[in-house]
Amino acid sequence: MKTLVVVGVGALGSHAVLFSRNLPVALVLVDFDRVESKNVLAQVHPRTALGRNKAEAMKQTLLGLFGTRVEAIPHRLVPENVDTLLGRADLVLDCVDNGATRRLIQAWVRNHKVPCLHGALSAGGDFARVVWDDHFVVDDEATTGAATCEDGAILPFAGMAGAMIADVLAEHLRGGTRRSVQLGAGGWQVLARDR
Amino acid sequence: MNHTEALVNLTWMGRNADLAQPVFYLATDAEIRAWVTEAVRFGGVSGLPADGPVDLRDFVVDRFPASETIPYNRIFVRPKTPFGAA
Repeated sequence: MKTLVVVGVGALGSHAVLFSRNLPVALVLVDFDRVESKNVLAQVHPRTALGRNKAEAMKQTLLGLFGTRVEAIPHRLVPENVDTLLGRADLVLDCVDNGATRRLIQAWVRNHKVPCLHGALSAGGDFARVVWDDHFVVDDEATTGAATCEDGAILPFAGMAGAMIADVLAEHLRGGTRRSVQLGAGGWQVLARDR
Repeated sequence: MNHTEALVNLTWMGRNADLAQPVFYLATDAEIRAWVTEAVRFGGVSGLPADGPVDLRDFVVDRFPASETIPYNRIFVRPKTPFGAA
């Protein structure tokens, strides 16, 4: 069975994992962050997980609700551990919230020729890109440390984008197709469909 | 549309639409942003509201050349997407 390493299980990543739970992969979740009360508004993490590491919380949620077993790694992805954390990956899903970590992931997957899907949200939480690495451009925040999508109003859109990620991953696992899309309130457009 | 042109798609104010006219595929990002801004301001993009200020200076211009599956050039003008988690 292939191993899918998911980096970042927040607004986008937690929904992507929720909808990816039936994929024929071993899921490994990487996130250093902890669940805060504001996260409960737009992420899959429940109030009972407040204060817990997000990767561990997601692991517990999947096991408790669905009996799905995943591996949780409660660490920040940094240059010193990227070989260890991504080394087992047959496939990488990037749902992080900063350009530096995205570039670290992008450099590693390109160097090791591992397929990587990136999920990215706009600051308003009303536009998303689900793009394979071949076409992915890293966007930086306008200002470092800018507030991320914390508002509960983005929950439906984050769920939609997470479901799209799972669908794109499922298509890739079935036949190797790499479909890149962008989503807005009005629907989605296919950016590329590669094999 | 010939091989030197591209269909332009804009995502703005949460909505998404194609420009009616293709543009030169190798135009600069600044030129494309300027053309799209003018098109929106003058109501030339069906499905997008023309009222209010239009400022696309921080928008990203993505280019996708014609491929086997999508046989024409496309340019996407979109907001930045720096976030994934929170």
